[in-house]
Amino acid sequence: MLKLRLPGLSRGVCANFRIPNPCCYSNSVSSSIDVKPKVPLYLRPPSFSASLSELSMWHKWAKNLASSVGSTFVNLDNGPDSTLLHRELNWLLQDLIELQHHSEILPRLESSNNENLDVRVALRAPLEEIYCVWRQRIEERRPFQYVVGCEHWRDLVLSVQEGVLIPRPETEMIIELVEDVALNNSPELAQGFWADLGTGSGAIAIAAARALRSHVNGDAGCRVIATDLSPVAVAVATSNVQRYGLQDVVEVRKGSWFEPLKDVKGELSGVLSNPPYIPSDDISGLQAEVGRHEPTLALDGGASGINDLLQLIDGVASMLKPGGFFAFETNGGKQCKFLVDYIQNEKPGRFRDINIVSDFAGIQRFVMGFRL
Amino acid sequence: MKLSQGFSRCINLLRQFQVAKSYPNPCNERSFVLPAIPNIFLSFCRYYSTELQPQVSSDLLKIMEQRLVAIEHRSAFLENFINQPEASPTEYSKANKELRKLRDSMDLISELRTKQKEIDGLRTLMAESSDDKDMLEMATEDLHKALEEEKRLQNLLLKSLLPRDDADERDCILEVRAGTGGEEASLFAMDVFKMYERYSQKKGWRFEVVDIAESDLKGYKEASAAISGSGVYGKLKFESGIHRVQRVPVTEKSGRIHTSAVSVAILPQADEVDVRLRNEDLRIDTYRSGGSGGQHANTTNSAVRITHFPTGITVSIQDERSQHMNKAKALKVLCAKLYEMERSRLHTSRSKLRSEQIGSGDRSERIRTYNFPQGRVTDHRVGITYHAIDDVMQGENLDVFVDALLLQQEMDAIATFSSAQ
Repeated sequence: MLKLRLPGLSRGVCANFRIPNPCCYSNSVSSSIDVKPKVPLYLRPPSFSASLSELSMWHKWAKNLASSVGSTFVNLDNGPDSTLLHRELNWLLQDLIELQHHSEILPRLESSNNENLDVRVALRAPLEEIYCVWRQRIEERRPFQYVVGCEHWRDLVLSVQEGVLIPRPETEMIIELVEDVALNNSPELAQGFWADLGTGSGAIAIAAARALRSHVNGDAGCRVIATDLSPVAVAVATSNVQRYGLQDVVEVRKGSWFEPLKDVKGELSGVLSNPPYIPSDDISGLQAEVGRHEPTLALDGGASGINDLLQLIDGVASMLKPGGFFAFETNGGKQCKFLVDYIQNEKPGRFRDINIVSDFAGIQRFVMGFRL
Repeated sequence: MKLSQGFSRCINLLRQFQVAKSYPNPCNERSFVLPAIPNIFLSFCRYYSTELQPQVSSDLLKIMEQRLVAIEHRSAFLENFINQPEASPTEYSKANKELRKLRDSMDLISELRTKQKEIDGLRTLMAESSDDKDMLEMATEDLHKALEEEKRLQNLLLKSLLPRDDADERDCILEVRAGTGGEEASLFAMDVFKMYERYSQKKGWRFEVVDIAESDLKGYKEASAAISGSGVYGKLKFESGIHRVQRVPVTEKSGRIHTSAVSVAILPQADEVDVRLRNEDLRIDTYRSGGSGGQHANTTNSAVRITHFPTGITVSIQDERSQHMNKAKALKVLCAKLYEMERSRLHTSRSKLRSEQIGSGDRSERIRTYNFPQGRVTDHRVGITYHAIDDVMQGENLDVFVDALLLQQEMDAIATFSSAQ
């Protein structure tokens, strides 16, 4: 493990990171079925406080900690550099402090102004915990999104926690495919059942539901079913659906891929998924934030990474209604081409308009098409 | 205070028009507003220097009356036309469209005509009842009210007849760039950017930082913001240009005064429809370091860069927390830039335009100097100097300049209006 010499200010606060510490809200994932989703930092009540000087001291410490990283992580495994960590630090502060106080407090932390240092600032978590989680961010490479308990994705702010894959920026484009390709060509698809398989935080299901709704001016007939095998994902997705008031549109079901969808076989208007697609051998070499903290269940796609994608293609051939649309995220060009070949050779005459779409980094990322 | 500020603004403006020169005592406000001076600028100017109902000069009234009659005729002709069954659907809808455009003016004109009839009636009544003291008194009072009302309507009409910039009501994008002067210019760019931020807060506008590129000393090499609220572009548009600063930089050991400059651009906001943005003209990409992306990478960096092929403009945004929001912001900035290009293309192809009369409209024109040792801010276009520089930097009294520039714009428009007859 990487050893960093870091300025120690609060060794005592969070001495051993390997043992779940009651001061942190990052305990290991509970294996029980009854998972209670955690409240993201920015939604917690501001029932704690610190003086401005205490907050400044923490900020200075946190900034130095971030600066000490330099480009170490970049060189190690393409992780974050200091610039990115400084930006995350600002976002952590934004989530910690009430919005109406941002404009006075945040500039003060950067300035050398010594006035009113004993003024109290309301915080959404105790400062000791914030010391602890920032240390985890840097020393353990705990993903920032788990630290603040949320991920900004498209125009949504989704709760995330250990055990749930953090939605990626690339995946945002699946919703554009729904709007610009599926609904543009076949507006009638907006009504009827859609499925988001392996929903994780519920990101795709929630954004798709909002897109479908805006196409029919209301909820009339829009239905999305989100499935996931993981009880944590089911709990988190359900809570995100409720936060966006979509409980009448999005239904979260527990189970593997199409297994909980037997009642809508052959009736689906659309199927979307970001399934695990990383080849098993690559898992151990992943960026620390991913490999050490995110659920392997959501990442490992078997020996060539394509096991689950093939299963999904087999599934849509029978689960979609004629004219129905599908879009899947993949590991990149090679997998995309393999899937297109598979569809053409193994499922002749079952689909039309099969296309590969690249993400904004120019990597061929999605395979999509319509059922004949 | 307010009165005399407005007054001094007028004086400065009048100086530009060479009117004040002929006036013996420009400091005497009472005589200044005497209606004896037959000058359309001067009388219109009263509107700004006092709280009284403005008096449109008789010259201007004559010109306006001709316009009003023309509008009345045109409107009557069109009404008549659309009531004829033989009008073709296209002719009909064309005429109807023009009528709708005239409707606001026509409503005001008929209100004015009613008022003028009332005034005639009152005058007749007064002539007839010169013996009845009570009646005379009552009629005089009514006449006074009616005349005030007439003036109000005339002013509204004049404003509605002046050429308008359709972009005035739009939101805007503010861009501040450090120019010559290195670190000091960057520090001043930050000061100017924050001046507009405070000014916007004071106005109740929404000020949203789009992007900031910091310099080594935490100044701003370049900063942009989206400002939204009522009439934002119309108020801020004359802030575009070079703002010059004279002061002892914090970096200067020997206490020598430096001169540096920042450039400010105010662009009206536009949407994708305004600029006819086509997907095939855009390339959207991330500029992250390589790697497989997707599930392999967990990054909070969702920066987006948009390239517009036909113009070569690129916009990069990185400070939002999702890629979608970065992209939306980048598109907003791109649209504003394209819209501004289209506008300036139209401007140069047209004849002399109002906005060009205030300064050259050239971004490279030096418009204002902030002199810290002397504690003053001078706007070179209206020739106004304000002696509380800290207030200005705090966004407190920027209105001194904003209002003067708007006033000058209006006076230029009146000049164009009357010379066009």
